Amino acid sequence: MKSLQTVCAVAVGVLVATLGAAATPPNDAQIAAIVVTANQVDINAGKLAESKASAPDVKAFAHRMVVDHGSVNKSAKALVTKLHVTPESNATSESLKSGGEQNVAKLKELSGAAFDRAYIDHEVTYHQAVLDAMDSTLIPSAQNAELKALLVKVRPAFVDHLQHAKDLQGSLAKAGG
Amino acid sequence: MVNRRQLLRQLVLTVAALGLKAGEARAKSGRSDSAKAHKVTIENLRYEPSSLTVERNSRVVWTNEDLFPHTVTDTHQAFDSKEIASHGSWSYIARTPGTYSYGCTLHPTMKATLIVR
Repeated sequence: MKSLQTVCAVAVGVLVATLGAAATPPNDAQIAAIVVTANQVDINAGKLAESKASAPDVKAFAHRMVVDHGSVNKSAKALVTKLHVTPESNATSESLKSGGEQNVAKLKELSGAAFDRAYIDHEVTYHQAVLDAMDSTLIPSAQNAELKALLVKVRPAFVDHLQHAKDLQGSLAKAGG
Repeated sequence: MVNRRQLLRQLVLTVAALGLKAGEARAKSGRSDSAKAHKVTIENLRYEPSSLTVERNSRVVWTNEDLFPHTVTDTHQAFDSKEIASHGSWSYIARTPGTYSYGCTLHPTMKATLIVR
């Protein structure tokens, strides 16, 4: 369990670390790639949790992640198509992708209450990291007004997901004694 | 003696009068609902206005302007819209006075109040 928590923390920490370390802020094409990858990573974890979680509240949360992040990606993809922007893979989006894959691989090794706790712990860290990145880099760096507006529009959903995950984290901890 | 023509005329007038009354009643009812129709917009995971006071029998319409589905669900289940799709809406006639705390069952941070006088 210790190793999983470490992997989770490293995986999501990469988002803030790579963005913070970048010499120049990401351009709109890079932001688009980061947004789409960040959402896809959470959709993938959510799909696994939808089938593997044991607590009904955790299953419902996982379903919400799949639906909501799916909606964000649908809008993001429609916008980049409209703007004729091709998402540009970059260090942050690549790190997010590999971090997400590591997270899913580790989660697959777990079951029952241990799976639920690990999934939700990761969701708390992930949403906090994405919010930090949105506020410090993605929203301020977005040049296109519609891309910036989309980021601003979806930000409250990340706040809600973070609080929801924290509440579940608390209830799982109580249930676990 | 009343002939057939007079009888028919009387019948037509009676039916017309009844129709007029029914129409008035519908118009009054329609005026009442439409005059008191209140709108709540759901956007950025917030209900706007977050607190709304209406007279009883008013119609309230919630419109979802978010990318995500939402619900309008009273804490004590007095009303529940179920899922309102993105860009969809839900209408409710508030018949019973009281203070109703409601929210979205899908997004727990969303809260608002409907006061019916």
